[in-house]
Amino acid sequence: MSSAAHAVRSVISPALRSFEQQFQARPRDSLSGLRDLAMQRFMALGLPSNHDESWRYTNLRSLNGIHFTAAPQHERSELEPFASVSLLDGAQRAATISMVNGYPWLHSVDSVINEIEVSGLKEIARLEPGRLARFFAAPSDADNRRWALLNTALFADGLYLKITKKVATPLVILHVGIGSDTDTVSYPRVIIEAAPGSSATIIEHHVAQGERAVVVNSTTQIALGRGAQLEHYRVFATGPDATHFDFLDLRQEHDSRCKQFTIALGGGMVRADMDVRLNEPGASLESQALLVGYENRHVDCVNTVTHAARDTTSKQTARAIASDTSRVVINSKVVVEAGAVHSESQQSCRGLLLSQAAEIDSRPQLEIHTDEVKCAHGATTGRLDPDMLFYLLSRGLDRNTAQSLLVFAFLADVLTGMSVASARASIENALIGQMPDSQLLRNFR
Amino acid sequence: MRDINLLEITDLSARVAGKDSTPGKDILRGVNLTVKAGEVHAIMGPNGSGKSTLAQVLAGREDYEVTGGSVTFDGRELFALRAEERARAGLFLGFQYPVEIPGVNNVYLLKAALNAKRKAAGEPEVDAYEFLTLIRQKMKFMQMSESFLTRGVNEGFSGGEKKRNEVLQMLVLEPRLAILDETDSGLDIDALKVVSKGVNSLRDPKRAVVLVTHYQRLLDYVTPDYVHVLSAGRIVKSGDKSLAQELERRGYDWVVESRVA
Repeated sequence: MSSAAHAVRSVISPALRSFEQQFQARPRDSLSGLRDLAMQRFMALGLPSNHDESWRYTNLRSLNGIHFTAAPQHERSELEPFASVSLLDGAQRAATISMVNGYPWLHSVDSVINEIEVSGLKEIARLEPGRLARFFAAPSDADNRRWALLNTALFADGLYLKITKKVATPLVILHVGIGSDTDTVSYPRVIIEAAPGSSATIIEHHVAQGERAVVVNSTTQIALGRGAQLEHYRVFATGPDATHFDFLDLRQEHDSRCKQFTIALGGGMVRADMDVRLNEPGASLESQALLVGYENRHVDCVNTVTHAARDTTSKQTARAIASDTSRVVINSKVVVEAGAVHSESQQSCRGLLLSQAAEIDSRPQLEIHTDEVKCAHGATTGRLDPDMLFYLLSRGLDRNTAQSLLVFAFLADVLTGMSVASARASIENALIGQMPDSQLLRNFR
Repeated sequence: MRDINLLEITDLSARVAGKDSTPGKDILRGVNLTVKAGEVHAIMGPNGSGKSTLAQVLAGREDYEVTGGSVTFDGRELFALRAEERARAGLFLGFQYPVEIPGVNNVYLLKAALNAKRKAAGEPEVDAYEFLTLIRQKMKFMQMSESFLTRGVNEGFSGGEKKRNEVLQMLVLEPRLAILDETDSGLDIDALKVVSKGVNSLRDPKRAVVLVTHYQRLLDYVTPDYVHVLSAGRIVKSGDKSLAQELERRGYDWVVESRVA
């Protein structure tokens, strides 16, 4: 690390200093040139603060005083089996790759799915760095990419997937975070490349194991080739002590289609960023977010979708629920660049407040630099509809049951769009578990 | 059975629930009505007379505040029961504007409603197979398509379908007292016949029906024992079914005016 960063900030926080120490301890590799740049930018910019546009609602001050160490690699033998946390039940055929603290376990997955090439990032960086070049362009100063910069500087290993054909079986990436006595950060990195005409379903499921708090800084990059189709899930289901920064970068070529689900069910603090570029005509994105805040949890979801070519379409649906003293933020921005004529975009953000102290902040934004586009956006936040509630009560349902049903119904739009039945069932179950009268609701579904 | 007072409304007054310290508008101003088991009553009246308010107050809607009088239902103090308890005790409100609840399945709601009622009566939950058989039979009777089984509550239903669905719910729940709030409004003649058939099938010496309606048309198919005219929050005239025919001929003015005079 050069001393240039020090010049910018005369006093750096213990957190920044600890990241710098992690960086200095890293072995050099074929990506080092780029990692140097990323680290320099990160040190110069520092942790995001409320002055940064996309961080207005999420305060990270408490992190500044913490000395972080890199989360260690774990051997399989130390770990409990993960079956109990699996999103998919036995009936659903699926392949699972585990990544523990960002380190993939590759020994058992060689041939789980023939149509997906699975490699470790460390190995690819060593043997074929050229394949990664397109994923490691010049670092960006954008404030929504701050943690992704740090991930680029510090990820030790990761997962590289190349989807080569049409794959029917869903692939689950089970991200397991394991805390330790010290404050650790893990840096999971996943790169997914979908060959032209291929199709697949990939579920990234984030969980934490053990009693200790975890901090996760994950980045996933996806590139869809011409006509490729992907259904991608990211499910955050860590415990109340977890802090999670996730960045999803999606690039789409001609006529590619992506259906993306972001599901926040857990975590003390979850910040989920998504940056999508529809780079070529015919590319389409359907993004659905289901953000559940309860207790004193904080969920912040920031989407940016850029229509960079003509005839591209995007549809974003977000449903947020906040109870107790939780807070949920939805920032969703659509940019239509000059020349992206005949683009169509829809944004719908709806929030449901279940307590006086809960808060939902919803900000759909549109930035249009061309004519001949169809863009619609809407945002509403409110409480349970009294007419619906009275209707259910007038049919003899308990008040608690009626309320839970309506909460559940509010989320139905997103849930019904999921084509992996057993993932949907698990997510439904996880949601139901948080509601009063959960047993009755289970019978009801 | 005919001698049991199923519903006894005495001098009932109610207003729209006030906001902050502002009292709401008075709507019901001393309603008296007795409905015995086995009877069908029609409550008619001009717009704004308080018909729907009466129906909603009886069903337990919290947007209204009862300011005076009392109501007993099957011998129990009605206002001591919450809306859901009234339903389980056998009071059914057929809504004028049934609400759409996307994401809550129509049939599951019906099953939960039936089970809530059975539980309150100390009966076991309905068997899944028996329930489905029952629903299919009632749906056939109400000439409803199978697609109703899988749809959300009233989701995307036409006006007529919503009203049929209300009557379907009534037939499955078999209430002691059904209050149907303008169930006939917005129906074409075929739908009106089906809805009327549903209501008639519930006529029984143990039960009673109160039809709130604006027009006499429904009463051609469901013959009431009594017809009442509600005006400015009071029942100003009562009679038999011939009163409805007279109202159809002469309108409401003469009833309302004769009262004022």
